[in-house]
Amino acid sequence: MSEQGAAILKLRNIRRRFMLGETSIDALHSVSLDIQAGEFLAVWGPSGSGKSTLMNIIGLIDAPTDGEVHFGEQDTRVLADDELTEFRGRKIGFVFQNFNLVPVLSALENVMLPLQIQGVAVHEARKRAAAALQDVGLAKFGNSLPDKLSGGQRQRVAIARALVVEPSLVIADEPTANLDSENSRMVVELMREMNRSKGVTFVFTTHDPRLLDHVDRKILLRDGNIVSDEVMA
Amino acid sequence: MKNLFKLALRGLMRNRRRSMVTLLAIAFGFAAIVLFAGYTHNVYDGLARQSIHGELLGHLTLSKRGMRKEGKLDPERYMLTASEVSSIAKALKDEPHVVLVAPRLGLSGLISNGRASTIFIAEGIEPAAVVRLRAGSLTEQEKKSGMFESMKMRLDPEHPEVASLSSGLVEMLHLSVGGQAVVLANTLTGQANALDITLGQGFNTGNANSNDKFAFVSLDLARTLLDAEGRADRLTILLDDVNQTGAMRDALLAKLNKAGFDIEIQTWQELSDFYTQVHGMFDMIFGFIFSIVLTVVVMSVANSMGMTVIERTREIGTLRAIGLKRGGVVRLFTTESMLLTLIGCATGLLIALGVRWGINMANISYTPPNSPSPVPLLVDMDIGRTLFTFALMGAVGTLAAYLPARRAAQKDIIDALGHV
Repeated sequence: MSEQGAAILKLRNIRRRFMLGETSIDALHSVSLDIQAGEFLAVWGPSGSGKSTLMNIIGLIDAPTDGEVHFGEQDTRVLADDELTEFRGRKIGFVFQNFNLVPVLSALENVMLPLQIQGVAVHEARKRAAAALQDVGLAKFGNSLPDKLSGGQRQRVAIARALVVEPSLVIADEPTANLDSENSRMVVELMREMNRSKGVTFVFTTHDPRLLDHVDRKILLRDGNIVSDEVMA
Repeated sequence: MKNLFKLALRGLMRNRRRSMVTLLAIAFGFAAIVLFAGYTHNVYDGLARQSIHGELLGHLTLSKRGMRKEGKLDPERYMLTASEVSSIAKALKDEPHVVLVAPRLGLSGLISNGRASTIFIAEGIEPAAVVRLRAGSLTEQEKKSGMFESMKMRLDPEHPEVASLSSGLVEMLHLSVGGQAVVLANTLTGQANALDITLGQGFNTGNANSNDKFAFVSLDLARTLLDAEGRADRLTILLDDVNQTGAMRDALLAKLNKAGFDIEIQTWQELSDFYTQVHGMFDMIFGFIFSIVLTVVVMSVANSMGMTVIERTREIGTLRAIGLKRGGVVRLFTTESMLLTLIGCATGLLIALGVRWGINMANISYTPPNSPSPVPLLVDMDIGRTLFTFALMGAVGTLAAYLPARRAAQKDIIDALGHV
């Protein structure tokens, strides 16, 4: 967790260019952005606006063509691949649109996974994962395989998996895209609750304007540019 | 990752049918190798016992230097004298692992029943030495099979004129047990000498080429016939452990050379051309089968793991995103592959043990090339080759997943996450 109000992520003049055969497409044009610790921030905009590209760069799973990404005091450009992977594993949690749970592992084992990747002892990982599942209201479903859970429950498991490493930042790319409106609302409320109770910074993308009512700040992207950046009252 | 094995094992369970097919390919391949290795082991063991005990080669054969090459042309020169025989036997008596030193005398000539004559080749040996050398020539299973009854031969310590003739020779001369024949040979000085013999027993040499001319006579009779009192052309040495053959050859040679004896010592492998040839042939066939099975295993595992990696590309992207390094991805899939291979080999071992039991219980027999009688088809467990195959298959099976796993690990995370 980070101190409330300090910038945990700074993007400077981020450009991301993709090559499609002979053609190059700029998904992001010189985007600059500061994300403060403890923010609950939504990035929204139409399809093809560059939301996912921006999330990938914020999540350190993609590198910009130009520009700088500073995570806290760390310039991420200087990190080698393994260092970046380790850094990402400790600092950032991910919630995916398709949940991306490992189907052969139970809910509890899925939540334990990031901890075990970091080398946390099994009993400690189990304890922390059980607590994370309890936080998202799924204490009773620890032994269930993902295919026995509803979409909303799977996404809550994914949120528990993202939070279990106690990250500074959670990235959620379209976390409600595969959920009905009721589950979408519940998932966003859960993320909001975790943001408030644990002080974790959440950045998520959405198409659904109704979900924007819950956020502290919303950034509208269009054609790879930030069109508006509103801090909600 | 602490739970690497668990994750790998669960991964194998994900596509059970594919894992099962690959596992069975490995299992049957492994079983085939283990069974063939077991069969050849039994053949090698049988041939070794046949050479050492059946053909009375013993483990080591001691003779004067040059005896094997030049002895036939000038036997007197290369024959051990009576004093050399007794001195060497005395020197070897207390050597560790040495259980018998038996003087031998080879001879050849004509054998006649009074109406017809034919050539013979004979070995003169003490009857007691025959009994000692023959001990341990058959396994309990071979004794039970009764197939080797025809190979028994007998000399009589009380009656040196009693000889055992190969069954072909007995048949040719129309002899029966207790029947008389005359053997004619040259003495060491070139004089013709003849003696009466009594047929003690007909026996099968186990070799079609020698079964119509070979005979065992007592050492006394051979010495009398050749006029070579106390002499021997070689000494057969029996050890208590076949694995000591090489070491004891070196030790005894060094000791006797130091004592002033100009001798050479050969091992039973060096003297048994048939054993060496069969061993070489079976080794080549084993290598051929092993290569084919190994290729099938590698292809199966590589194909299976290649498909697995493609199917789980998104999962790889997720694991990479939440902190698994590229090396971790490679380890995950190679571990999965290693488990698949090792479980396959373990299953193959069980199959091999079952089939082996069935074969050994079925009392199957066959007649090998150049053999006058059938032999039981038995399969041993060749522990050395089984372990070697287990280790090599495990290693190769693991490596078969390396390339697809490495390719997956190198994939961009966002591409992997977007994989459908």
